Amino acid sequence: MGTYVAKRLLLIVPTLIGAAALVFVIMRVIPGDVALLIFGGEAGGQIDAKQLADMRQRLGLDQPLLVQFGTWLWGILRFDFGNSLWTGRPVIEELLIRLPLSLELAIAATIVSVLIAIPLGMLAAIRQDTWVDYLVRVVSIGGLAIPSFWVGILCILMLVIFFGWGPPLEFTPPWIDPWANFQMMIWPVVTVGYRYAAVTTRMTRSTLLEVLREDYIRTAWAKGLRERAVVVRHALKNSMLPVITLVGTEFAFLIGGLVVTETVFTLNGVGRFVVDAVAHRDYPVVQALIFLIAFGFVVVNLLVDLTYAWFDPRIRYR
Amino acid sequence: MAAGARRSFALSIFVALAVVVGLAVTAVHAADTPRRGGILLAVIGADPPSLDPHQESTFATLQLVAPLYSTLLQTDPYDYPKVIGDAASEWKISPDALTYTFKIRQGIKFHDGSPLTAADVKATYDKLLFPPAGTRSVRKNSYSAVTSVEAPDAGTVVFKLKFPSASLLLNLASPWNVIYPKKYLDKDPNYFMKHVMGSGPFKFKSYTPGASFEGERNPDYFVKDRPYLNGYKFFISTETSVRAAAIRSGRAYIEFRDLPNAEVEAITKQLGDKVAVQHTPMTGQWGIAINNMAKPFTDERVRKALTLGLDRYTMGRVLFPLASLKDVGALLRPGTEFSLPEADLQKLPGFGKDIEKNRAEAKRLLAEAGYPNGFKVVLKNRNVKLPYQDFAVFAVQEWRKIGIEAEQRPLETAAWFADGRDTGNFELIVAPTVEASDDPDTFLRRYTTGDPQNWGRFSDPGVDDLFSRQSRALDPAERRKAILQLQKTVLEHAYYMPGLWWTRNVVHWTKVKNYVAPPNHYANQKLQDVWLSED
Amino acid sequence: MATNIELAHASASATLAPRRSFAEVAARFVRTKPLGAAGAVIILGMLFLAVFAQILAPYDPYVGDYGLQFARPSAEHWFGTDEFGRDVLSRIMYGARIALFVGFFASFIGCTIGALLGVVSAYWGGRVDLLLERLMDILLAFPQLILALAIASILGPAVQNVVIAISIPVIPRVARVVRAAALSVKENVYVEAVQALGASRRRVILQHIIPNVTAPYIIMLTAQLGAAILAEAALSYLGLGAAEPTPSWGLMLSGSAPSYAEKAPWIALFPGIAISLGVFGFNLFGDSLRDALDPKLRKG
Repeated sequence: MGTYVAKRLLLIVPTLIGAAALVFVIMRVIPGDVALLIFGGEAGGQIDAKQLADMRQRLGLDQPLLVQFGTWLWGILRFDFGNSLWTGRPVIEELLIRLPLSLELAIAATIVSVLIAIPLGMLAAIRQDTWVDYLVRVVSIGGLAIPSFWVGILCILMLVIFFGWGPPLEFTPPWIDPWANFQMMIWPVVTVGYRYAAVTTRMTRSTLLEVLREDYIRTAWAKGLRERAVVVRHALKNSMLPVITLVGTEFAFLIGGLVVTETVFTLNGVGRFVVDAVAHRDYPVVQALIFLIAFGFVVVNLLVDLTYAWFDPRIRYR
Repeated sequence: MAAGARRSFALSIFVALAVVVGLAVTAVHAADTPRRGGILLAVIGADPPSLDPHQESTFATLQLVAPLYSTLLQTDPYDYPKVIGDAASEWKISPDALTYTFKIRQGIKFHDGSPLTAADVKATYDKLLFPPAGTRSVRKNSYSAVTSVEAPDAGTVVFKLKFPSASLLLNLASPWNVIYPKKYLDKDPNYFMKHVMGSGPFKFKSYTPGASFEGERNPDYFVKDRPYLNGYKFFISTETSVRAAAIRSGRAYIEFRDLPNAEVEAITKQLGDKVAVQHTPMTGQWGIAINNMAKPFTDERVRKALTLGLDRYTMGRVLFPLASLKDVGALLRPGTEFSLPEADLQKLPGFGKDIEKNRAEAKRLLAEAGYPNGFKVVLKNRNVKLPYQDFAVFAVQEWRKIGIEAEQRPLETAAWFADGRDTGNFELIVAPTVEASDDPDTFLRRYTTGDPQNWGRFSDPGVDDLFSRQSRALDPAERRKAILQLQKTVLEHAYYMPGLWWTRNVVHWTKVKNYVAPPNHYANQKLQDVWLSED
Repeated sequence: MATNIELAHASASATLAPRRSFAEVAARFVRTKPLGAAGAVIILGMLFLAVFAQILAPYDPYVGDYGLQFARPSAEHWFGTDEFGRDVLSRIMYGARIALFVGFFASFIGCTIGALLGVVSAYWGGRVDLLLERLMDILLAFPQLILALAIASILGPAVQNVVIAISIPVIPRVARVVRAAALSVKENVYVEAVQALGASRRRVILQHIIPNVTAPYIIMLTAQLGAAILAEAALSYLGLGAAEPTPSWGLMLSGSAPSYAEKAPWIALFPGIAISLGVFGFNLFGDSLRDALDPKLRKG
């Protein structure tokens, strides 16, 4: 096990450096220039070449690309992601303001999705190819088919048109005012949760179906055990590993995938921060965010793999 | 500037502002005694890049911090564009118009308790006019006539000019030029990008980037008994329908920039007389820059055909309910002192009312220029919904009728500036002009050779000459003549294609009293007189 | 957003499906998978609209009637008109073209490149495999939408760029699955036997490996098709998709439609239903197809 862990850890390094390089390159290829953008605005603005050159120099954009990349990598190692070119504040500071909201949303949505998905998935598997199965699948596939921004907009509009009610406009952490927090987060959580429930429901259904066909389950049936006992005690337990894995990986993706939801509900989270930063050509912010999201993903993946290896020794020797 | 000119200016815009003034009168008089207290809750559509108005040109910065600062002069909150004092109590202009002397009000204190003196005003304007390395000053060209700012004593500031500047007073009333304390500027000229230290009616309370901005009452404000409010709070939301919903649900009381008419209708339908709408014209125009350096637009006939193909009068009818774009005009706001009179305007290509005749003429010109079957062209645009997108969609539809197939290509703000303003990498590009006042210098400088705002990259010595003549003209009649001639020249040669002049809807709950919307979303944002009749 | 784990899981065993004639398979599919058949009907309907849009659409989707803005649904305009007086039904019909174009090409390009890389990676193994795998790892670490967002803003908004932006994040996901499938084939006794008999590399790949990775490839293709249509809508919403006045479904939903939700709900309602139904059809079909191609899940 020890060598396997070491090998896996070693493999992470090139992946992360590669990810860093890719992010860096993407950000430099995007047309548009933050120095120019900073001078922009609705009223235009009057600038001359010297001011522009000064600004580039101040932002460090006049350095050769390799030097910029090196500086950045060195910064990462010291957990220093530089300052936002747009606001001038440290990237970490900006990120910490927005992270709690995204984390809460992702965690709550994951919980909601699991609560919906596992019972539904079980139901569909046990009653495969009956109307129950069809209904569950239609509902869950529907969750994947409806554009989430559309649901979000409809949701906000319905509430205000029919009840004259709108969610609070500012995030309050749950430990300060749980009620205000609930009022704001409930709609996006349900929207995102439903969507992810769709994925998990399908997974639960298909793994459970597979397990239900295994020999030992047939034996359990043959022993004359009651259906509930078979499904809950034997099948569910054995089909949970892939589902938990899925939930884990989805969670890692969720943080980065909140872009649209956060935009619709105007939540000041990490996802929207990425979109804004891309639009502002705020290199350090985009680089840091995408890198950190990739980092999170790689770590979760590693944990998942290690868990698998722990359970299934064959993997270690491949 | 002669007082007579100012009076006639005020008179000429009276019609345009009648609605606003009417509202102001109701607001001031129907409102018995102002009530103290309460927090004004507002929504705003963008997050500021920094908090320093000297360095920014977006309303997102100005609306948030304007209540925290004083300016040297200001436009009258009840009577735009009348210039009145703020930190300056009175001023004198020398007969040769080359020396401006301002008396600074006594007893103004910054929020840290230190007094505001002439030295602070000088430091502020030195930063604006002669920006130190590493800082920027986006409007410094408006003050190109000024050679120096001096503070002979603590209560006097003197501006020295190398040539007369008719626009100077209005530019010194610019809401962007907030006064900073000198000692902070000495430490770091970029201090105010991230910090606030002013002398305005409100003090800084909190700012969460992307979410909210708060100010609280300044008990030591130099105007007695002001402000009325205990504080104000802006919620930042980039989504138009979310901002409208926030007003409908009462989570916010006002949106200071603009809400589209469809939203306004829905809000008033639901809330009835609980809300009021102030509809004002805007010191902003939506038009299209033509790249005069690129083929086929080097040919004046092609440029003329494009502008002839736009049915501006129908456009105003169609786009007003969608995007608040309304009035047909030339390069200065219709109905103001220096705008082109209706009769002159209609003689210019694309401004005649007979659209069929215009289209026939456009086709004839295209054929003459060698494009009898029209051509394909890319119209670049900014990917902001209102009013950029609707404006472009209309133009694209119109040009189809004269055989020009235009493809709209919306770009992110960064790329839009890069292509339009900086590299000239475009054929046609939507290029609006939105400014903080009707000042002709500010609006017309962009049509001169080599100006960074001259996106169309044309050069006409006649226009350059007319611009500098009007800029220095002390006689309003002489100035007006040069300005009208300049506008005619630009439009006759179709160097640039104006579209429509913008208007705005400021929607607020009627419990918000004493706010009069000026014709732009930059001026009158200090909120010192605003009060709430209930919480 | 079908996940790779889910798909890898399902398709690992999919390669073993025995072959039958198309008619037989289709008939059986309809009988045993009524939901899948419903999905197929929706897809065919969409295809029909897209192909015959020019004949079927009652109005020009690009040119509005300025006298008829915000018209309610009526006999002349079944789905009403939008803010420029354009016929919503005609725009939805032309929109089917764009949705299918983006959906098909994005998933086709992404899946094909991914599948090729997967096969190469599995077959050559060794250093090639290691390198490709790391590359795929890197790409996989980026959230799909964010990667598409970055690519779309590099390329600028246009339909063909949207296709590229959506297809790139698909590559590593497909490569993974196909590599796994190809590996299991490669290690099969009969492939080893064929190689021992002196079959050329090309022949092994073409005749033995490619046919056996077809099932996971098709499964991924249908799964990604629906996802690509949704991704196009999301990019349009974020201002990076097709540009007005192109009748793209995503664009019709976003834009200023929410502002007119009360005055003219049909402007946003019908395109929303069109997208949901289209994606629903592809997902339904894809899901059942996977069940059908995966012998382990087959009943009795």
